[in-house]
Amino acid sequence: MQIKTDRDARLGYWLILPTVIAISGLIFYPIFYNLWLSLQEVNMNPVQPNTFVGLKHFADVLTDGDFWGSFKTSLIFTSTTVVGTTLLGLGTALLLNRDFPGRSIIRGVILLPYVTPVISAVFGWKYLFDPVFGMANYFMVDVLHFLPQHINWIESPAYAIYAVIIFNVWKNFPFAFLMILAELQSISANLYEAAEVDGASTWQQFKHITLPQLKFVIGALVILRTIWNFYKFSEVYLLSSSVNVLPVYIYEQAFANYNFGQAAAISAILFVFVLGFIMFYVRKVLEW
Amino acid sequence: MVKQNTILKNIVFVLLLVLLLGFVLLPFITMLSSSFKPDTEQAVFPPTVLPENPTLEHYKGVLNPEIFPFLMYFKNSLIVAFLSAGIGIVISIFGSYSFARLEYTGRAAIQRGVLLVYMFGGVLLVVPLFQMITKLGLFDTRTSLIITYIVQTLPVSLYMLGNYFRTIPKSIEEAAIIDGCSRLEVIYRIVIPLSAPAIVSVFIYAFMIAWNEYLFASVFINSSSLRTLPIGLNQLFYTQHYIWGRMMAASVLTAIPVIILFLSIERFITSGLTFGGVKE
Repeated sequence: MQIKTDRDARLGYWLILPTVIAISGLIFYPIFYNLWLSLQEVNMNPVQPNTFVGLKHFADVLTDGDFWGSFKTSLIFTSTTVVGTTLLGLGTALLLNRDFPGRSIIRGVILLPYVTPVISAVFGWKYLFDPVFGMANYFMVDVLHFLPQHINWIESPAYAIYAVIIFNVWKNFPFAFLMILAELQSISANLYEAAEVDGASTWQQFKHITLPQLKFVIGALVILRTIWNFYKFSEVYLLSSSVNVLPVYIYEQAFANYNFGQAAAISAILFVFVLGFIMFYVRKVLEW
Repeated sequence: MVKQNTILKNIVFVLLLVLLLGFVLLPFITMLSSSFKPDTEQAVFPPTVLPENPTLEHYKGVLNPEIFPFLMYFKNSLIVAFLSAGIGIVISIFGSYSFARLEYTGRAAIQRGVLLVYMFGGVLLVVPLFQMITKLGLFDTRTSLIITYIVQTLPVSLYMLGNYFRTIPKSIEEAAIIDGCSRLEVIYRIVIPLSAPAIVSVFIYAFMIAWNEYLFASVFINSSSLRTLPIGLNQLFYTQHYIWGRMMAASVLTAIPVIILFLSIERFITSGLTFGGVKE
């Protein structure tokens, strides 16, 4: 095989070349281009030249109350949905980690929210959340009396965030469920049998056997979901455009107000924030 | 005593399972049932679960090009998703073979570079990509979406296929090389046929991502004749076609191909070998 090594190496480069070109051209270059744009007053007509304005957009953004409001919404949305998807995924995985008839069908059914196109799922939920005849109001107000009157779940900024959070948890917990279930199934039954012989309660077994085994997968799920949900656009915007998370704010600055420079600056800030979170999380929480 | 305990446990289990399935399925049930409800039954209070007089009028409306261009949007989505998944799979077969089996300096660095992509969401790219697409004269073309989707799905495809290729015994490939096959022949005579299930799954995964994508499609496309389903349906919601039954029928018809495709590869996707590489 030795003689072939040089030829293999050359072939290796050729085969990876399309990938390298595509990813550098359409991911890495745009990221740097975005930084450059954030220093410009970008002309609405892309053929016309831009004007260099230095750090003006960053100064504007960081002193803008709207930005900080949007930042806060993003923090609330991301933290609640990360906790929600992980806990519901964990609970579902623990519930289904046993043998019962129809188990594989039920597992497939639970994955449906995750694979259904966002646009279809959104319309289903919009119907449920309809202020006049929606199921959500009917149950919360008329049946359970949790709330005094019908709420406009989709359009009122105060309540739409709840609708968006519920929708996101519904859509994404199956991913956590599947990853955790796979990990649960890899735990040897001997461990539980031994614990039972030693007289450990179900809770003690969970705490001392199950949880330590799940630490890694849960850690990975939390960081992935945090990154994904900080960047989440369609699942928020299509359900309710009045929940102004940062991606929605960027989108509207760029494509409704045509303030591309400012949108680029917000993107850069969002990225730095997410990067900072990743580094903090990996070092302090996961202790890698 | 012990027996009573088990019965209680089973009751709790079934109860929780019913609650969970209710939460998961409620939107689907609503969607399906209102797509068959006549207009008069849509806004009834209290809400009804099943249609009293089921009708197919909404499906007929959606599928009638004179009322709503659903079929055109469907075709556009199909073209974009098929081409981006198809081109993407070719690039990633070559790329992941290169990662899995060929040794060269810089391979590890390139692999890490591909992994880095996980840190960039679409929303960070939409502003610069829009500027680039416009400058390249690709605004309002299918090409703009196809190239964007290829790149968005590449890292996952490379990861999944690379994992699969590594499970093929090296000895089979070496035997073929000794018999006089070139590396490229090994790829298309041995690796591709042996990895057919993985390749089909990765193709379907990429197809689904392209089929569902909203952000780039809403920005790169202007002409109504090029719109994909998510854009078309979202606009339907804000026009005079805003009829619940029709919206729901359109949603069902948009979801069905994806759900069928997913069910066909569920076993492979959920085997863990692949799901670990998913990116949103």
